[in-house]
Amino acid sequence: MAFLKRLPSVLTTLFGISVFVFVVLRVIPGDTITSSLGIETGVLTPEQIESLRKYYGIDQPLIGQYLSWMSSFLSGDLGFSYSTGAPVWDLTKSALLVTMQLALFGTLLGVLIGISIGMFSARKPGSARDFLGQFFGLLALAIPGFVLSTTIVTVMANKFQYFPNGYEYMTPFEDLSMNLQQMLFPSLVLGIAVAAPIMRTTRSALLETVDKDFIRTAYGKGVKPRVVRLKHVLRNSLIPIVTMTGIQFGYLLGGAVIVEKIFALPGMGRQILDAINKREYATVQSSIMVFAILFVTINLITDWVYRKVDPRIK
Amino acid sequence: MKLRKVWTGLAITAMLGGIFVGQPARAADTSLVIGSVLDIDKTDPHTATNFATVRGLGLVYGSLIEIGAKNAIKGGLATSWIFSKDGKTLTLNLRQGVKFHDGSTFDADDAKASLERILDTKTGAAARANIATITSIKADGRKLILNMSIPNAPILAALEGVNMAMLSKADIDAGKIGGANKPNGTGPYKWVSWEPTQSLKLTANSDYFMGEPKIKDVTIRVIPNEASILSALNAGTIGMGIVTDPLIARQVKSNLKMFKTPALGYYALQFNTKVAPLNDKNVRLAIQCAIDRNELINTALLGQGQVTGPITSPAFRSDPLARPCPKQDLAKAKEYLAAAGKSSGVTFKTLVTSTGWATSVAMAQNLKAQLAKVNITMDLDIVEQATYVPRWLAADFTATLANNGGRIDPDTMYTRYFTSTGNLNKVATYSSATLDANFIKGKASGKVADRKSSYVAISKELEDNAVWVWLATPFEYRVATKKLRGFSALANGSLLQLRSAQLG
Amino acid sequence: MSKETKAASSKDWVHYYFKSTSGVIGLILVLIMVTLSIISALNLAPIDPLEQNPVDALKGPSGTYWFGTDQFGRDIFSRSIDGMSRSLSVALLSVGIAALVGVFLGVIGGFFGGWLDGLVVRASDVIFAFPAILLALAIVNSLGNSWIDTSIAIAIVYTPIFIRVARGPVLTVKEMDYVKSVRVLGFSTPRILIRHVMPNVLAPIVVQIALSLSWAILTESGLSFLGLGTQPPDASLGLMVSEAQPLAAFAWWSLFFPSLFITVVVVGLNLVGDGLRDALDPARRSSG
Repeated sequence: MAFLKRLPSVLTTLFGISVFVFVVLRVIPGDTITSSLGIETGVLTPEQIESLRKYYGIDQPLIGQYLSWMSSFLSGDLGFSYSTGAPVWDLTKSALLVTMQLALFGTLLGVLIGISIGMFSARKPGSARDFLGQFFGLLALAIPGFVLSTTIVTVMANKFQYFPNGYEYMTPFEDLSMNLQQMLFPSLVLGIAVAAPIMRTTRSALLETVDKDFIRTAYGKGVKPRVVRLKHVLRNSLIPIVTMTGIQFGYLLGGAVIVEKIFALPGMGRQILDAINKREYATVQSSIMVFAILFVTINLITDWVYRKVDPRIK
Repeated sequence: MKLRKVWTGLAITAMLGGIFVGQPARAADTSLVIGSVLDIDKTDPHTATNFATVRGLGLVYGSLIEIGAKNAIKGGLATSWIFSKDGKTLTLNLRQGVKFHDGSTFDADDAKASLERILDTKTGAAARANIATITSIKADGRKLILNMSIPNAPILAALEGVNMAMLSKADIDAGKIGGANKPNGTGPYKWVSWEPTQSLKLTANSDYFMGEPKIKDVTIRVIPNEASILSALNAGTIGMGIVTDPLIARQVKSNLKMFKTPALGYYALQFNTKVAPLNDKNVRLAIQCAIDRNELINTALLGQGQVTGPITSPAFRSDPLARPCPKQDLAKAKEYLAAAGKSSGVTFKTLVTSTGWATSVAMAQNLKAQLAKVNITMDLDIVEQATYVPRWLAADFTATLANNGGRIDPDTMYTRYFTSTGNLNKVATYSSATLDANFIKGKASGKVADRKSSYVAISKELEDNAVWVWLATPFEYRVATKKLRGFSALANGSLLQLRSAQLG
Repeated sequence: MSKETKAASSKDWVHYYFKSTSGVIGLILVLIMVTLSIISALNLAPIDPLEQNPVDALKGPSGTYWFGTDQFGRDIFSRSIDGMSRSLSVALLSVGIAALVGVFLGVIGGFFGGWLDGLVVRASDVIFAFPAILLALAIVNSLGNSWIDTSIAIAIVYTPIFIRVARGPVLTVKEMDYVKSVRVLGFSTPRILIRHVMPNVLAPIVVQIALSLSWAILTESGLSFLGLGTQPPDASLGLMVSEAQPLAAFAWWSLFFPSLFITVVVVGLNLVGDGLRDALDPARRSSG
């Protein structure tokens, strides 16, 4: 029910997104696209060229171009890569999986690191360990992902002769162990970036909860401190943490662009980056749109989880 | 207590990631992964200009002639050949029992159709000009007879390489070349799949005329930078790496094998002589005089390269000192600028590839800094290789820093660029009647001594007019695991010798 | 949000800000970076950041070259401060635009409500639906690589944040009795907005500006790392990190110092942001 209520606003947002993507990419003059169709004649079949012309709405006014694109997009035609003739949807399918896995692992690691350090810090506010925890949080926030990735690649490869990402990318279904190794460092880089805000949220949420009466009562009843911390304090601080995690998950999808490039992972970020560099406009346009839809969906899910966790919101 | 267990469990899961740090699964000894920054950009061998494409397709296609060790011409799909007395007819005897990957037999009809496809201007073949003297082709059983308008000895060398790939006539007739069509060649490796920006997969051709290669599977994997390629080599995750950056090459340690050969290819600052301000010869000469090639080599290439003139073909190598301002001469550069009426300075834009080869941006930065000393402003227009190649082919630049392939014969190296009918003349932007005449003269004989004077004259004309500024020849680096045996690197960058290599 | 409407008097919060050690440290870090940027912008850097001294290529840190040199013998210190000045310029311009536009739209939307507000909120939702770097990437791709283009791209990305930050308090303030009463008195709308509404929105915006500056710097360096921002040979911190990749294994300084600069300025701006938040929000002071 809650979902249905939000449907109209979600749909208007998606509509807005499609207009926005269209406008941003159409700053590129139309004849650039037309001429790019000509460069590799012979690569695409006449049917594919026709389908691409339809996709771009070439020879139509702007509104017509937009409608043309939308009708193709909604009917599942995301266009073709004109240098290889591969349908964009085929590329996107596998790339989506990579990015989702990356974002998921990144979030998991981020939550794990963030909550641990947040709890570590909140134990004794103002103490040396709190300072240490906060200092970590600050560094994690401030060291850019590309610096961390470059450093990891350099150190791991030169000192430890370890660089699983040099090997061809393996999906979890092809080679699980290799896949996990290839995902480890990229998700760690993303995880650290995400851990910082989660750590801060955890720390302040915990500090706030500790002051609450029922916690004092629990301590008073002689419940073991560790149990109080985990069972009562943490549980009651979950709402802000979950919210922050949801927000960060979206951030992760963006951070994936750089990490995927450095670690040679064939995800959405790298696909879009490559497409931008190769002037594959159909790929850019469709992939960004898919990405945005994913993003909106994740926000919806976060919202749903948020409602589940916090019974006060109805 | 329960929660604590969950927590411990999570922590252990997290640590598992850390414990994983073992070596990644090593590929079996019959498969080789090659790391390369560049991906192939098309599958039509005749129009391929990108180094990565030429390298990749070179394993899939065969050509009539091959270049062997020490740059000697040897038979490929042709086993022997003979020129007629007047030098205007070449008869090639084709190898017997060669099969295309689809199982069909290679014969003279396929060879004829392939060469005709190259000659067809609609194809846009990269090396059309090299065989443009062919007036008619006759297929006669195992014989292929080429009739030419003028005596043309160097055409033999021109029949080498991916741009002269032999395709199946059936494929040509059906229009099944390039694009999403699976390449069907006669080379040592069969095409399996290509995932753009990911990898190209090949598998050994069991019908290959030299016998099935011992390395059964070859994967050319795109790795975004050369530092990572070296990392992957050190980690043993790949077996060979294509390295163009001397910065990386110097970090190769004794745990790896390094194949280092002086390249035939060269770096040049190409000018568009049709566009201001470079349409003024004096401006071009000013640039030529303002550049210190040794400084360029020492900084951008870390000393790994040689100063070169236009011709890099070993037997005909241009004398790098036979040029205006063989050493940097800033006073002279200023004189030329004054002669052009540009004493206050000149600005021009240079197209630079960001990914074409590792030192491109570094070279451009050094050239820019050097030219700034004489008030020449070289603006850099840095683009991805995928954008660079089409713009280069369309001569869509005022100047461009280029890494062009060299050939063992100066005729095949420059006919396409600097003859008025050359298919890349539009890119070279310069031609003249004297150049045309000298190129024709150079074809007349098969003997180096007879031909040399023509190419000295060609070199001189190009340098005196500062058509381009020829800078340096680099080295080709192939870095491989110690287990790779029987491989030899060729100066043209080809990986063809993988056909006789093995691992372990 | 409502707590923030009680703006602390200026003396009060300045005094409070300087009582926080981390706030002071942050301010010092930022000031150091700003000073270095100004030195570079005034061409007072010890060595021209573009000057190549091939003889001194790839030298480690020394008295002459404090941060060492790169492969052309360019001074990494001078290039780092030059890059810092470029990053800060982009950050200031982009956050400046984002704050002006965002606050304007947020205040107008929040104050007047209706379809205008709906449009503003919807539009910011749309932009929020893209990961920041990706959006900046797409816009830069269309606009170009100059620092102004980069700033515009980043400004577009961060405008919705300011819309949200400004709109929230306005909604609350608008319902407050004294604002209602001046409205009834027939004061002109701009006057109400400027005299009565703006002061209440100011505090969260100031905090947001400090934080956004740090994000803008990260986004800018990310773009130039990917080759879509500052172009060589000009120095930019992200580009320097990217150029250091093949060097890092034997010339650690080429990677370390530009990275350090980014980290220091971002840490500084975050500490300043936190300090401001605590100082400007009386409710948070007690919880420290």
